[in-house]
Amino acid sequence: MGNSLLQAFIDWTGKIGLNYEFLAGGYEAQIWRGGFITTLYLIVLLIPVSLAFGLLFAAMLTSSRKLVSAPVRAFIEITRNTPTLVQLMFSFLVLNTLVSNVLGGAQNNPLSPFFWVVAVVGLHVAALHADAIRAGIEAVPEQTVEAARAIGFTRLQILRFVEAPLAIRASLPALVNNLINLVKLTTVGNAIAVSEITYASIMVWTQRDNVVELMIVILLFFSAINLAVARIGHWVEKRLAVPGFGVGS
Amino acid sequence: MTNAKILSASAHNRLPWLFGALIVIAAIWLLADLSLLSTLIEWLPYLGSGFLMNILISLLAMTGGTLVGVILGILQLAPLKIVRYPVVFYVQVFRNAPHLVLIFATTYIFPFEIVVAGHYLPFPDWLKAVIGLAIPASAYVAEITRGAIQSIATTQWEAAKGLGFSRLQALRWIILPQCARRSLPPWMNLFASITMGTALASLVGVHELLHAATDASTAVRRLDFTVLAYIVVMTAFFVLCYPISSLTRRLERRLKV
Repeated sequence: MGNSLLQAFIDWTGKIGLNYEFLAGGYEAQIWRGGFITTLYLIVLLIPVSLAFGLLFAAMLTSSRKLVSAPVRAFIEITRNTPTLVQLMFSFLVLNTLVSNVLGGAQNNPLSPFFWVVAVVGLHVAALHADAIRAGIEAVPEQTVEAARAIGFTRLQILRFVEAPLAIRASLPALVNNLINLVKLTTVGNAIAVSEITYASIMVWTQRDNVVELMIVILLFFSAINLAVARIGHWVEKRLAVPGFGVGS
Repeated sequence: MTNAKILSASAHNRLPWLFGALIVIAAIWLLADLSLLSTLIEWLPYLGSGFLMNILISLLAMTGGTLVGVILGILQLAPLKIVRYPVVFYVQVFRNAPHLVLIFATTYIFPFEIVVAGHYLPFPDWLKAVIGLAIPASAYVAEITRGAIQSIATTQWEAAKGLGFSRLQALRWIILPQCARRSLPPWMNLFASITMGTALASLVGVHELLHAATDASTAVRRLDFTVLAYIVVMTAFFVLCYPISSLTRRLERRLKV
């Protein structure tokens, strides 16, 4: 059933001049499907990682101790103003080599290219999240914080129970934007041979010379994922909306 | 001004100091190892030529992207569905597409030369990278333009109509001039982001800064030089993009009121 549908699709696209024949072949189709799964896996892994570190950075950023806030500020400015690809190459070629040297050879190094993509993209997007959450924290009315202090909340409790819930709501649109950016950033893994979708596609099109066909699917794939991310973000925004603020449902 | 605001402002002022300290550390490191310094000086012109390519690609991509994007942004609000829908589709697809994918697409789909009136004109990879980045830039500019047009009060359109302006005249003489100011901060953010996107061109073999640094580090084969080369790359992008993003933030604060 599935096979005949696939064959019908290949025949039909063949008629309008698009070559999807590799889908019927075992090995290439398998690599290509693997690429999609790796990209999805990266996205599903990176979203919680980036959000967790984003919260951590935001908490450090709003700390009253400069020793805590200044390094995070510097990290944010550096990640935001340098290309992610350069950060990735730097981490993979320099930091990874240093780790290997310390552990005595590359064979003892447990850090894979996949790890470096998650680390670099995750921390990069976390830095963007942190700035968005900081802006949200600043938007919390001073009186609310004062009231919380008056009831005897500690600085950490205020952050946990008063500022963070309100700040997250205010920064949700910016966070969703960052997540869409995150989805797009997963493609840099291509540079260090993580077999995500662009890397897998190169494998196929060097054999078949069908760049246009693969590009159509990749563009639709990313559009669909980002549409889903935007929709889910919008849904969460609506669920968490504070009554009496904004334009309402 | 709240406590947090004062804090973040002071953290901003400290940043140049922090950066200055890093440069001093790098300078001391270089002076401590003179062979490293001379190798770096030897390779600096090569790295510089790569960086000029980054700047050229980003300027051309932003120029093309802005020209096309403004028109697309206006068309997104066109009354005719048959004009509006294809443009909305274009913007949605290319705004959500990774820059790297678009650079791959233009590099591998376009021919390496084009025939114009019997002459073979070369179509180099860097020009394809320009187009690959101009496409997402145009989609973003279209969204920025649409947002700016929609943020202008409907009464202005009505007033213009009352004064006898046609729809196009109102757009040209009354609406768009106000949009330019509102869309400047997001446009500059986009400029910084496209400039950083030029590093992706190294993956399709364009000779730009990252590519030059990789070349240099493979030729020299010293770990400390590799570290230094990538620090130079980071610094170059930072020096180019940081002023843009801090100026954007200042503009945003001023235009907010």
